[in-house]
Amino acid sequence: MAKSTTNVPLTPAVLHILLALSAQERHGYGIMKLVESDSQGKVKMGPGTLYGSLGRMIDAGLIRESDKKIDPEMDDERRVYYKITALGQEALGAELQRYREVIAVAKRKSRQPGIAYGS
Amino acid sequence: MAHKQSIRRFRSWYATLLRLYPKPYRERFAEPMEQTFNDLLRERAQQDKGLFGFALWIFIETFAGILRETLMTIPKHILRPALLTAIIMLFPIFGSLYVNDWNWHWYSFVFAGSLLFTAALGYELVARRMSNKTYRLAVGVAVITAFAMNWANFAVGIFGEFDDIPTKPFYWGVILIGLIGAAVVRFKPRGMMYVMAAMAIAQMTVPVIALIVWPVQIRHLRHVAFPMLFAPTVAGAFGANAIFAALFIGSALLFRRASANRDALTA
Repeated sequence: MAKSTTNVPLTPAVLHILLALSAQERHGYGIMKLVESDSQGKVKMGPGTLYGSLGRMIDAGLIRESDKKIDPEMDDERRVYYKITALGQEALGAELQRYREVIAVAKRKSRQPGIAYGS
Repeated sequence: MAHKQSIRRFRSWYATLLRLYPKPYRERFAEPMEQTFNDLLRERAQQDKGLFGFALWIFIETFAGILRETLMTIPKHILRPALLTAIIMLFPIFGSLYVNDWNWHWYSFVFAGSLLFTAALGYELVARRMSNKTYRLAVGVAVITAFAMNWANFAVGIFGEFDDIPTKPFYWGVILIGLIGAAVVRFKPRGMMYVMAAMAIAQMTVPVIALIVWPVQIRHLRHVAFPMLFAPTVAGAFGANAIFAALFIGSALLFRRASANRDALTA
């Protein structure tokens, strides 16, 4: 059963997977590589973490499995693809909005004298 | 060519590792996981990077995933007592490994682990059904006392060796009174108060019976639990039992307060 996840902050793994799937459906390896390149190598997920997160995200209704198909850029093995759902889009939007709000607060505060962020 | 063989071998080992996942998870994800593992290794091979260290990292990471998914399939009311038991059992395990003269037999570990798990599960099943904090505390005191009494009785011996003064089975009776009583009163606080009082009385009855039935042996006691507190004397035997009886009485008083709180709420 899908749970309401739009009000709950997402874990880094879930956020990165949703971002990776926001533009198009991908298979596990594709998600892994995109997460790695999007995060400039800072987020590295192994299959244990990736598929554990995918399972929980499917159960929560954030993503769904689409049909098995061959990736023309790889070999001739048929792979399961994962696709973001409307609820997943909503959760991702809510999370990004939270980030925007945090950044706005940080910017406001950084203009105050005596407060400095970063080095 | 060498890479291809290594990849095939690692993939076969990985497929074996994936069998450790719970069945529903395995049926869902084993195939794509194996494919992803294969893709990752192939990418490393194309970049002419070493495979062994990378494969080892994936194996460890996947094994952590297997543990996580397996733990998630265990109901929480069993998982919590199991984890608590495992954590506490680390002490005697390390003790046996590194402390001189701490030489437990394997059955001591089984006994201690089973006793701990039963006590923790008992608390979990009974106390978690009630939101009343006093009731939970009363259950906690009762469970810890019963655990300590069992431990003292079986592992250390409350008093007397089994051959001299065979009182050990009498203490099973004390626990049995508690279990049957709790079932009869259906864990209601007022009823539990009487059950705890009955356990305290039963506890103090054991040294009385011992004194009547084995008067010679009890006058020549060689051993009493808590030797730091009690010398192996008749008074010592009563003192050791009185500690447990007092704790059962303490639990009874807490149940009485829990019952009064409930009455006040429903009045």
